Amino acid sequence: MEILSVRNLCKKYEKFELRNVSFSLEPGYIMGFIGKNGAGKTTTLKSMLNLVRPDAGTVAMCGEEFRANELELKQRIGFMLGGVTFYPKQRLRVVTKVIRRFYDEWDDAVYEGYLRRFDLDPDKKVEELSAGMRVKYALTLALSYRPKLLLLDEPTSGLDPVSRDDVLELFQEIIEDGERSILFSTQITSDLEKCADYVTYIKNGEIVASSEKDDFTGAYRIVKGTGDQFTDELKQRLIGYKKNAFGFSGLVTAEDAPRVDHLETSPADIESIMIYFEKEHRE
Amino acid sequence: MKNLLYKEFKLAVHPSMVIFLFFGAFLLIPSWPYFIAFGYLFIGIMNMFIVGRANQDVFFTAGLPVRKSDVVRARVLVIVLFELMQIAAAVPFACLNPLINPHGNMAGMNPNVAFFGFVFMMYAVFNFVFFPKYFKTAYKVGGAVVLGVLAVLVFLGAVETAVHLVPWLNTNVNAVGAGRLPGQLLVLAAGIAVYALVTRLAFKRAAARFDKVDL
Repeated sequence: MEILSVRNLCKKYEKFELRNVSFSLEPGYIMGFIGKNGAGKTTTLKSMLNLVRPDAGTVAMCGEEFRANELELKQRIGFMLGGVTFYPKQRLRVVTKVIRRFYDEWDDAVYEGYLRRFDLDPDKKVEELSAGMRVKYALTLALSYRPKLLLLDEPTSGLDPVSRDDVLELFQEIIEDGERSILFSTQITSDLEKCADYVTYIKNGEIVASSEKDDFTGAYRIVKGTGDQFTDELKQRLIGYKKNAFGFSGLVTAEDAPRVDHLETSPADIESIMIYFEKEHRE
Repeated sequence: MKNLLYKEFKLAVHPSMVIFLFFGAFLLIPSWPYFIAFGYLFIGIMNMFIVGRANQDVFFTAGLPVRKSDVVRARVLVIVLFELMQIAAAVPFACLNPLINPHGNMAGMNPNVAFFGFVFMMYAVFNFVFFPKYFKTAYKVGGAVVLGVLAVLVFLGAVETAVHLVPWLNTNVNAVGAGRLPGQLLVLAAGIAVYALVTRLAFKRAAARFDKVDL
């Protein structure tokens, strides 16, 4: 059974539109949610949580429709939308004291464990935390009632490399029991290489691909060639390309790869796929 | 709801709201427009909502395991509690008022039983304008408070004019102390009923508007 299912989510703003966003996730997996700034990652996450009211579409978590079961589902899912910024003048101890009362499954031992793991001082005020520490505190809050599903907006942004690695390891630990899943957005594609099982890529409010990580990268090839080889016919086949003094490099689908076998081809990674897709309509 | 109220009192209630509770003592000022003593609460409410905005309170609350409408419900409930406390805190001073104004209040309505009926209605008017206006954006506080206060001023202007110019009302509703009690009790009962109904309606309208707000 799917632990998360998003179907045809739509939200129209004056200058931006989420169009038929659909993807799903099974228990026991990590899905990375990528897209450039303003592509609609946070809007999608907020729409899923009813913080932004979608114009159309359905969201189901743990097998239940979200809007109809908001109260019960919020007990079973953990989410963070960036680092903690609310109540900056309050000490973490006070903020936690308020929040913990709301969760039936809140576990003080788990909470204390994460405080130690992340080196968080509960007597500090929220405003005294660095950007990375705010993210860690938000994660701590989201994890302390052992949610089945985690929806995390950029949980690794602002973290130093050591902490980032630690958080990614933590993600693996969380899903180990096969019952829990994580959807997290990120700008750091190496995070996905390290721990994501699935990748969902959103561009201008539309899902470009949502598939297993290896299928995602396996669907494309990087090609390189000289300036003379950069013909109009080839240009039509390229999803995106970059020109430089020596020639060009570009992205083709794996299906198209045999048709350009006169060029140097290499496997594509997530970062290059994103970069070439975003260069799609640019010169 | 208990947890939400705990959150409101622990994080959101502005200290000025507690201080204004003592302003019920203004009912001991000789001849004064006593309705004003109940209006200071609006300053407290404005403080609470402005500070709440700085603290991203709405986003904080909406992130808790509550319904989106509970964000509105908790806020309305806290304000209702303070309005009721503001009224309750003024009652002892109202009882003492006839000693200070033995011949009645020269500057406005006497703070009698009926007066409190009108205070209930005054808060009902504020709630009816303020909550739906504020929760349309969950962000713009000032305009919502100003509109609420303006509506209250129009209402109170009408009340003061009526109880002084309509002879029957002046005799039966503007009596000193507990004189002419049946008429006064009628106004009090009407005030409580209007307050309960209108505040409930204000909550529903505010919650429906807040549901459409993108946080």
